[in-house]
Amino acid sequence: MSTSLNVNVGKVSLKSPLILASGTCNFGRELAEYYDLSILGGISSKGLTIKPRAGNPGVRVAECASGMLNSVGLQNPGVDYFIENDLDFMKASGAAVIVNVAGHSFEDYIAMIEKLDPHKDKIDALEINLSCPNVKAGCMTIGSDPEAIKAITSKLRSLTDLPLWIKLTPNVTDIKATALAAQEGGADAVVLINTLMGMRIDIRTRRPVLTNNTGGYSGPAVKPVAIRMVAECAQVLDIPIVGCGGVADYKDVIEFMIAGASAVEIGTACLVHPAAPVMITDCLENYCEENKLNLKDLTGTLQRW
Amino acid sequence: MEYKQEYKIKLVSKEFLNSDTCYLGFECPGIANTAKPGQFVNISAGTQFLKRPFGIASTDKDNGIFYIGVKVVGKGTREISDFETGALFDCLGPLGNGFVFGDYENIILTGGGTGVFPINFAYECLTSQGKTVEVCEGFRDARQVILNKPGYVLTTDAGDIGIKGTVIAGLDTIDIADTSKTLVCCVGPIPMMKAVAAWAEAKGMKCFVSMEQRMGCGVGICLCCTVKVKDDGPDGFKNVRCCKEGPVFDSREVVW
Repeated sequence: MSTSLNVNVGKVSLKSPLILASGTCNFGRELAEYYDLSILGGISSKGLTIKPRAGNPGVRVAECASGMLNSVGLQNPGVDYFIENDLDFMKASGAAVIVNVAGHSFEDYIAMIEKLDPHKDKIDALEINLSCPNVKAGCMTIGSDPEAIKAITSKLRSLTDLPLWIKLTPNVTDIKATALAAQEGGADAVVLINTLMGMRIDIRTRRPVLTNNTGGYSGPAVKPVAIRMVAECAQVLDIPIVGCGGVADYKDVIEFMIAGASAVEIGTACLVHPAAPVMITDCLENYCEENKLNLKDLTGTLQRW
Repeated sequence: MEYKQEYKIKLVSKEFLNSDTCYLGFECPGIANTAKPGQFVNISAGTQFLKRPFGIASTDKDNGIFYIGVKVVGKGTREISDFETGALFDCLGPLGNGFVFGDYENIILTGGGTGVFPINFAYECLTSQGKTVEVCEGFRDARQVILNKPGYVLTTDAGDIGIKGTVIAGLDTIDIADTSKTLVCCVGPIPMMKAVAAWAEAKGMKCFVSMEQRMGCGVGICLCCTVKVKDDGPDGFKNVRCCKEGPVFDSREVVW
């Protein structure tokens, strides 16, 4: 693979900016049936909690214009099971291992870090999920409050040397305030953005399509929101940004990097085209060759009007 | 290692079976040659974002064609059924786990609605293997009846054709020589599958059901299409993926 795709997110070196987004790739096994995962910069695990979670009941997905709503509700096997059964697979994939950590309280996040830190030789970064819209407590509730973000980040910082990437919710008035709070708490990077909260209604039954009533909107429709938030935060942050939201082709990756992202996560596109990262990686290599540049030099090169 | 792939498939035949259900044939040797009864494909649906899943209804290995049945129930199925032959679609498949017929000598296939499509594929495969197969299909009324073949037991809720009642009334007319050597496979609406499972279990017969749930990816990565199955853990159940662990389940595993 061409070194022109190499990027760094702080002290984490990635062979490519492309990372599989949490919640859209499980732990990588299913996609390994479609392509060699070692072409990826990284894989962000399914959001993990201290105990296994069954997730939300009923209908969890709804078609939307240029995207979808989901209300999976952090179904996952729990961190202990993950360490025992999935972590080694992720490490062996050849992509950087990003472990997505979710919780319902400060104590949950702390307990998660204490479980994961002893396995730091197999983990490249912890992605702290302060943004899942589909659970009743924790996650987005903490992630909407800058003071809470700063406090939790700072506490987790004191517990581990592993890079801490704070994944933030777009469901706030001022994304710069929450991103700055993560930076002040000692985050190594922020991941922008998680899904936008939405609802769809069946007009015959007058009931929400999703049994959870609301869900997270993802897909190409949310890309302009994500790009705007990355560009805004790039103006005020000193720490790197991982862009996420609606990436479906190589131009989207470049757009995010110009806006200020050092790396880019891809998620919903893989639900439609499992091998999308293969095509995107090929196109990125061609782009770098044709334009005689290294991808990392694009980060933050936005020329505002 | 040979990787699975996403196919570009061509619509080569289209036939309306009734006012809202069509039977589509797609050219794709990769799927036609490997599909097993009970498996499904995930097919792009025009302007819709997500693909739509369909149980495989038949295969023609000589010509590399597989068939699905599409009943128009929403925008996605409307768009798919509006295409004319020659149109190209993105397609993943064959996906999921099909029926495991094993050494069973007698197989009872039963279903209704669009469930008759995978039942048709199972019937074709089993009869070509020389197995004894009984088929019982249920519909709302005569207008809904599709893919009904001579020798099938037919039931309708309205009773305007076939036996009046649900598929249970039809299944009760089938002479079962040895229940221990008989397997039941059911594909249909949840209430039908639940009733058939109870009917089969009461007679001591193993029963497979093909579950349906709103799907995102079809390949096991989004965790949207969950099915509740029995579990020894504290909850007494766990959510598994319809697309990956299913869609076919042993009826005794399912939490209805």
